[in-house]
Amino acid sequence: MKMEEVSMSSLDNGKLEGLAQDILSDLVEDACLGLCFEVHRAVKQGYFFLDDTDQESMRDFEIVDQPGLDVFGQVYNQWKNKECVCPNCSRSIAASRFAPHLEKCLGMGRNSSRIANRRIVTGNNTNNKSESDQEDNDDVNDNDWSYGAEKKAKKRKSDKNPNSPRRSKSFKHKSTCLFP
Amino acid sequence: MSKESRMRASVNQKLTEMGERERLKELLRAKLTECGWKDQMKAHCKEVIKEKGLDHVTVEDLVVDITPKGRALVPDSVKKELLQRIRAFLAQHAT
Repeated sequence: MKMEEVSMSSLDNGKLEGLAQDILSDLVEDACLGLCFEVHRAVKQGYFFLDDTDQESMRDFEIVDQPGLDVFGQVYNQWKNKECVCPNCSRSIAASRFAPHLEKCLGMGRNSSRIANRRIVTGNNTNNKSESDQEDNDDVNDNDWSYGAEKKAKKRKSDKNPNSPRRSKSFKHKSTCLFP
Repeated sequence: MSKESRMRASVNQKLTEMGERERLKELLRAKLTECGWKDQMKAHCKEVIKEKGLDHVTVEDLVVDITPKGRALVPDSVKKELLQRIRAFLAQHAT
C-alpha cells in the first residue's frame, strides 16, 4: 500500500510539472500573439517605423560605449580639477567650491545674511573680542539645521550682562511696586 | 485519465477566477520587455514586413514567423521565475 502511495505521489508530481509547463507554454504563446497584434496594428495605422530615420542619422546618434565618456560621447569628469577665478576677491577657487564661496564673497544667499545678522546682534551686546570668534564659527554654522545652536548662542550672550540699564530698572520698579 | 483532465480544468478555472492568470501574464510581459526579448522580436517583425511589403502583411504572416522564434528566445531565467510561481499556485490549489 505504502509503495503504491509513493509512486502515486511521484506520478502526481510529474503530472503537476507537466501542467505547470503547459500553463507556461500558454502564457508564452499569449505574449507572442499579443506582440503580433500590437505590431500589425502599428503597421496598418502607420506608426511602426516612426522612430526610424535614414542610416546616416542613425549612425550619428548611436550610443557611445567608451571608457571615460557618457552615452552622448561627452567627457563627464572634466570639471573635477578645474579652478575658477573669483570676480570679487580674485582668488583661485576649486570648481566644486565655487558656488558656496561666491555666496559668502558677494554677501548674497541665505547663509550670508544670517551670518551678517548675527554679527550685528552680537556686535551690539559684547565687545570686539567676541567678533573675532564669530568668524571662526561661520563654517561650523553653515547648514540650516544649526538654527537651534544659534538660538542658544544668542540666549547666552544676552544673559552675560547683568549690569545693563534695563535689568537694574526692572529691579527698582519691582521694589517700588511691592511696597506702595 | 478523465480524473486528470478534470483536475486540469479545475486548476485552469481557478487560475482565471482568482486573477492569477492575469497577474502571470503581466509579469511575463514585464520580464520579456526588461530582458530585451520584445525588441528582438520587433526586429524580426521588421524583416517579415520588409519581405511581405508594408501594405500586404497580415497577422497570419507575423504569427507564423514570430511564434516559434519567440518561444525559443525566452530566456531561461524568465522561464524559471514563471514556473516557480505556477508551481506554488499548483501546490496550493491543485489538490
